[in-house]
Amino acid sequence: MKIKKYLTLTRAGIIESLNFRLAILIMIAGNLLYLIVVYFLWKSIFASSETGVVNGMTFTDTLIYLVLATALFNFMEMYTVWDMGRNIQSGKIVLDLLKPMEYRSYLFWSYSGSFVTNFFFTVLPTFMVVIIVTHGAIPFGINLLFFAVSVILGVMINYSIDFIVGTICLYTESIWGINIMKQVIVLLLSGATVPIVFFPEPLKTIVYYLPFQSIYNAPLTLLLSRNPSYETVLIIIGTQLIWCIIITAFGKIFWKKSLRQITVNGG
Amino acid sequence: MSNIINIKNVTKEFKVLNRREGLKGSIKDLFSRDYKIVRAVDNISMDIEQGEVIGYLGPNGAGKSTTIKMMTGVLEPTSGEILVGGNIPYKNRTKNAQDIGVVFGQRSQLWWALPLIESFNILKDIYQIGDNEYHNMLEMYQSLVDIESLLHKPVRQMSLGQRTLSDILAAFLHDPKIVFLDEPTIGLDVSMKAKIRDLIYALNKEKNTTVILTTHDMGDVDALCRRIVIIDKGKMLYDNDIEHLRGFFGSYRTLKIRVDGKLSKCADIVRKELANLSVSSDDEWISILVDEEKTTVMDVLNQLRNTFNIRDMQLEEISTEDVIKKIYEEGVK
Repeated sequence: MKIKKYLTLTRAGIIESLNFRLAILIMIAGNLLYLIVVYFLWKSIFASSETGVVNGMTFTDTLIYLVLATALFNFMEMYTVWDMGRNIQSGKIVLDLLKPMEYRSYLFWSYSGSFVTNFFFTVLPTFMVVIIVTHGAIPFGINLLFFAVSVILGVMINYSIDFIVGTICLYTESIWGINIMKQVIVLLLSGATVPIVFFPEPLKTIVYYLPFQSIYNAPLTLLLSRNPSYETVLIIIGTQLIWCIIITAFGKIFWKKSLRQITVNGG
Repeated sequence: MSNIINIKNVTKEFKVLNRREGLKGSIKDLFSRDYKIVRAVDNISMDIEQGEVIGYLGPNGAGKSTTIKMMTGVLEPTSGEILVGGNIPYKNRTKNAQDIGVVFGQRSQLWWALPLIESFNILKDIYQIGDNEYHNMLEMYQSLVDIESLLHKPVRQMSLGQRTLSDILAAFLHDPKIVFLDEPTIGLDVSMKAKIRDLIYALNKEKNTTVILTTHDMGDVDALCRRIVIIDKGKMLYDNDIEHLRGFFGSYRTLKIRVDGKLSKCADIVRKELANLSVSSDDEWISILVDEEKTTVMDVLNQLRNTFNIRDMQLEEISTEDVIKKIYEEGVK
């Protein structure tokens, strides 16, 4: 009974996004375009190298990584910051606060529907294409399970970061600048645009200690590595788990404090 | 004693930041302590019984919305006590949400892209409404308004009137003890207003739901409310039944005239001539507030006709704004 009140939001999200057929088509087309750009960009990068292997990755490795990263990015893309900012500005947030559930979960579950549609419209097709084109660059096995767990943690970390940035909008009342800043930071430091192995040394180490790589790099590493040792898996998922707990807790406390700020001081 | 809402000596103060400009300014503002204090609600007390329909009136910025937000739990009072259905709203906001329904005139809680019935289904699950209650409610809705034609229409394609109607139905769906309606008839045409009033009236009768209605439309109040509460500048000015208020102000009418000659000059002459009446003027009209118990409008007109050539006239019943202005100026004894 309890879970139903959340799943109904998932269902609504699915119906809602299916309503916009054109948006889905445009999203797929936009993706293709982006992937074409990526293809040629990295092709020329690899053309300038003599060995065909840069930073331990071949051209195909890099491309597969980036294609899958794009798919994951589309899968996880939420407009949390936008929506929170807009709702705060317009005052509609009052109506959402008056739903008989926590705002944080309300918002998350409202988005969850788009995960389902995005999975079927971008992630699955991309995987199929990659598998067919590369003849088995993605190993099948226990790694798929690790990948799934890792993606779920990635989604939660991503949402928590978004939610924290959205909460900042309560104070600044402007969205655009903050959102762009967040997007650039997350995309770069998470390995979604450039694989992290390509980063120069001091930065690479720093990035591994930051939460962002847990969003895209961690699940992709698990997916693409053949026979990783259990130690590696444990370290990757463990890091994700720790970040997930820290950021979620921080986000919750920050929101609670900020909300008190509004309830005391008005929006 | 079946009070559903108790409000005791509630005051709400806002600390308003003296804001600076730009991103840098905003970041500085995060740490700024440069505040001024604004008192939006000032020592208000009232008890509301289950099933009452209350007209909550006051000019813009009087503190109505602030009071409502405190009752819903979105705002915390600076001092004083509020109990809604035995809950302290801001402490148990999520629990309190189960007991209340809200309609804010210009915003919709419905799912924009989905047909109305989907919104209802979602609300059914969110508020955990049982299947039987839900179907009974929909049946009752159908008996009150022709909801069938709306159910399968996406909310974004609805007219403002249809949307407001739907929003009101959505607010009553989980059979809350209290429904807050914040200017529900704003921007609607006359027949839609009447329809909405009938609906609210029927829902209140049927479910014995307490309704708290803020509005600027005296017609809403006349049609629905037995009791009215008036606040201005955060202070409570009046809390009694509506007949009482009409008794005080029913005999007042506003006479508006247009005359030949320069308006401001003429207004001064009128003022002199009718020293015991309140006279005001704008670009088009000279308005005279007439207490019909003392002098009739006809007398005033006759008197004015001796001095002026009256080109045009209008007679207006006293408006909410006038009542509030009067109350504010003179108080209710």
